Amino acid sequence: MLFLTLNLRLSTARLATAVAVLALLLLVWRPRALRSDNFVFYSPHGHDVVPAQMIGREEYLPLIQVLNAVGSVSGWQEKQKSIVVYFGSVHVEVHRDDVKVKVDKRQVVLPAPVRVSNGQWMVPLSFLQLALPKMVPQQLNYRVGSGRLFIGDVSPASFTVSLKSLPGGSRLSLDFTSAVKLKTVSQNGKYVLFLGDHPVEPLEKSFHFQDPYVTDLTFDDQDGKPKLIVTPGSLGLNFYPSEAADGKTLLVDLAKPGTALPLQGTTSAQGSVSHPGPAPRTAAPAAAPLPAGAPSKATNLATANPATAPPEPTLPAMVLDPGHGAEDSGARSRDGVLEKDLAAQIEDRVRAALLAAHDYRVVLTRVGDTNPDLDARDAIANVTRPVAFLSLHAGNYGTSGPRVVVYTYRFPAPPALLPVETRSPAFVPWDEVQRSHLDRSRELAQALETQFATLPGVATSPPQEAPVLVLRGVDAPAVAVEVGSLSPDVDAGLLSDPGFQERLSAAITQAIMIFGRGPAKP
Amino acid sequence: MTRRTLFVALAVVAVLIGGFSYLRSLAWRAFHEIQGGEESVHARLKQEALQPASGVKQVITLYFPADDESGLVTETREMPWAATDPDRVREIVLALVEGPTKTHNRPLPPSADIRAVFLTPDGTVYLDFSNEILKGLAPGIQSETLTVYSMVNSLAANIPAVKQVKILLQGQEAETLDGHIDLTESFEPDTSLGGKTN
Repeated sequence: MLFLTLNLRLSTARLATAVAVLALLLLVWRPRALRSDNFVFYSPHGHDVVPAQMIGREEYLPLIQVLNAVGSVSGWQEKQKSIVVYFGSVHVEVHRDDVKVKVDKRQVVLPAPVRVSNGQWMVPLSFLQLALPKMVPQQLNYRVGSGRLFIGDVSPASFTVSLKSLPGGSRLSLDFTSAVKLKTVSQNGKYVLFLGDHPVEPLEKSFHFQDPYVTDLTFDDQDGKPKLIVTPGSLGLNFYPSEAADGKTLLVDLAKPGTALPLQGTTSAQGSVSHPGPAPRTAAPAAAPLPAGAPSKATNLATANPATAPPEPTLPAMVLDPGHGAEDSGARSRDGVLEKDLAAQIEDRVRAALLAAHDYRVVLTRVGDTNPDLDARDAIANVTRPVAFLSLHAGNYGTSGPRVVVYTYRFPAPPALLPVETRSPAFVPWDEVQRSHLDRSRELAQALETQFATLPGVATSPPQEAPVLVLRGVDAPAVAVEVGSLSPDVDAGLLSDPGFQERLSAAITQAIMIFGRGPAKP
Repeated sequence: MTRRTLFVALAVVAVLIGGFSYLRSLAWRAFHEIQGGEESVHARLKQEALQPASGVKQVITLYFPADDESGLVTETREMPWAATDPDRVREIVLALVEGPTKTHNRPLPPSADIRAVFLTPDGTVYLDFSNEILKGLAPGIQSETLTVYSMVNSLAANIPAVKQVKILLQGQEAETLDGHIDLTESFEPDTSLGGKTN
């Protein structure tokens, strides 16, 4: 023991140095957010996929891989703080943590410095715009933020999207600037349409639809294979992709089981009819079948292509607001049912029923698993000047059975403290705008409560007032419906039952219809 | 390798590992401001709230959410009563955090940590909670409403100087408590939520 102590004393200086170095490392060390997106380089001979990496707030690409994707690296000389890469007839020199890049004798200054990560020399994306064109004779085509670069004669195809409601289903039409080859597979309840080897540069990466049959269309070429991913509105729909106009138009029909496919005559059918992966369940769209041959009044269009068919917002808007979304999952039951999912499921059914009735166009404050903030939700509602705004929630009501409560907004301070009458009616403050709609909001709440009271086995109570913030900025009659109990102490039970959700949604739809007929007569 | 060198190497490795772990934990605490666990929070609340107790006891009325969250129910209990109003506010909030003695629901989770209390001359109490309050809170329109009004009604019922309550989170004005209830203004007591003795 004495021996050990002695030796420790002798090496105190070394230990102190080691600990000090470690401490310094810990202080300097910052966690880095890594992302595994890919960047695709398309050339006339094929494509190269280069992994991108986030360092700090900048996206970086490995220098050697980038140069090899664009041309051919013949060698490099690496020092501790710099590297010189011999690339074709030029050489490029970069320095660690330095924004200056030397191409032969010309100097380029990048907005972000060159980094070294895991032994790789990394250049920021701006290198592609500022330095790379000085190094290669070919033309480079790169749109900032797109994640792909086209080299030389490669001319990518582009496309426009439109969505049309047809009896019993919906049709997505995609018009490409050049022909594509279609191959369809289904994965995880979604349909993947491979578009062949021809590079594609979409104008937008994803399109969202307010439609019971299709909710999202997303373009992806992260692996160098251009493809479109179609997310159906519910499971169990029939899917029928086909090509038209010599491969320049792609038609995708999604329809309820039992509907004849294709929905309307198509020129050719080279795609396959398939069901998404999981077994179809009972959650078929709740919409009543449209009368055959009847023109659909509610035509929903992708926002990406207003020129294809201009929107005709002739129907009054009804705003549905499924609460929460994305990382904010809201309340959670003991068996793992999340409020955000439950709200979206009920919204889905109400939306389908409203669209089927052809009295309203439905506006959603969120599509898919996203979470716009409360002001954004109100803004989405207010620009459509809706008939009403309905926010859907689920919450804790102890261990009691199914319960539905309707809320209108209650201002935390009494109206007497905030004399709105003295303010100019032309400029109503955002947080005061609901005040003038409170009477109609209460009428909507009463209409809903009356319908809920008819549901067997469901406890209801008279409409309540609460400071539910999402209602405050709505310039229309606005209510929040909360179902329960979604509590960590109990299972969701009936709340997640499709039959219960269907009855609840029918009651909500019925109440909206009654409310839409106008103010109650005294 | 001699025995002596081996000992020295082992000792150096042990010290390095120990030192690294210690420094790492220090760095973690410095960057992440780890709050104390439930028990320490409770202890701090208790200490802060009960320190100025004057030895006087008072029968107070507390509002708790009913079992089915349909409204508020009251409980009366005798508890130490501080000399100043801000300390009384802390005592009442602490009693709400501790929960009901009967089978009512807890309005505030055990992790609720009150950072500061201010009482302005116009009768507004500012309750500044740390974000820890959100960890054990059951989100929902009704449950958040009852959480807010259990505090507002309990404070107003027992401390005459309290007219309204403004809730802050982490020293800042928050939009909502946990996604639902509007915290941008102060709350006045609301007797419509019930308050029958149970």
